[in-house]
Amino acid sequence: MTAAQDRTIERSLRIQARPETVWRFFTDPERLARWWGTAELDAREGGSLRVSMHEGPRPVMRGEFVELVPHERIVFTFGWEDTPGAPDIPPGSSLVEITLTADGDGTVLAVRHSGLPPSLGDETGAGWSHLLDVLADAARRA
Amino acid sequence: MTVDEALRALADPTRRAILVLVREREVAAGEIAAHVPGMSRPAVSQHLRILVGAGLLDVRRDGNRRLYRLRPEGFADAAAFLDTMWSGALDRLKQVAEREERARPGAKEGSA
Repeated sequence: MTAAQDRTIERSLRIQARPETVWRFFTDPERLARWWGTAELDAREGGSLRVSMHEGPRPVMRGEFVELVPHERIVFTFGWEDTPGAPDIPPGSSLVEITLTADGDGTVLAVRHSGLPPSLGDETGAGWSHLLDVLADAARRA
Repeated sequence: MTVDEALRALADPTRRAILVLVREREVAAGEIAAHVPGMSRPAVSQHLRILVGAGLLDVRRDGNRRLYRLRPEGFADAAAFLDTMWSGALDRLKQVAEREERARPGAKEGSA
């Protein structure tokens, strides 16, 4: 078995809106609710962020703003309150970094979500079966 | 379960042996105990409880027997769940932010 590595998800997309417009959708709870979930937030460093999602097992995200650079960068901790059916990522255990870069009359938004639990299986679950084969071999040799 | 719990559960050789035993079929607690020589039944039950608590084993009752089987999705869930969450959320963010931008006072068609 290889050492467990924290996982990171990275995404980026171009939005046909200026960075200051996109920024408001992270710092204004009414706007944040239109794309992510019902939000209570205090948009300053050290302020809390709580988002009740409307999808799947309806998990509640709880985090804290770590960095807010107006129209450029938003960093917050990310975790789920204990929710049946949601993966176990306790509040404070992972980090989301949002970077907004002006691109003509639009914005390139990049998300980096790091500190996620290592996945012993990849998306197909092949990693998990491999681990069990290794365990089975080890058991046979023992 | 937490990943810490899962890794702690995997760190013990008896528990790894139990996982190998149940990976292809359901196995009764008694049969598992029979495969772990030199260990008391309560000690084996304790190992089983740790594996269930870590999300690596499922257990069900059949009469007075307890049957255990591997829960292979124990680890794989988290990343797929978040990938899906970010994809959906960012698509919606793009839509609502672009709509607001088009509606802002002074917005001109094709302005730079």
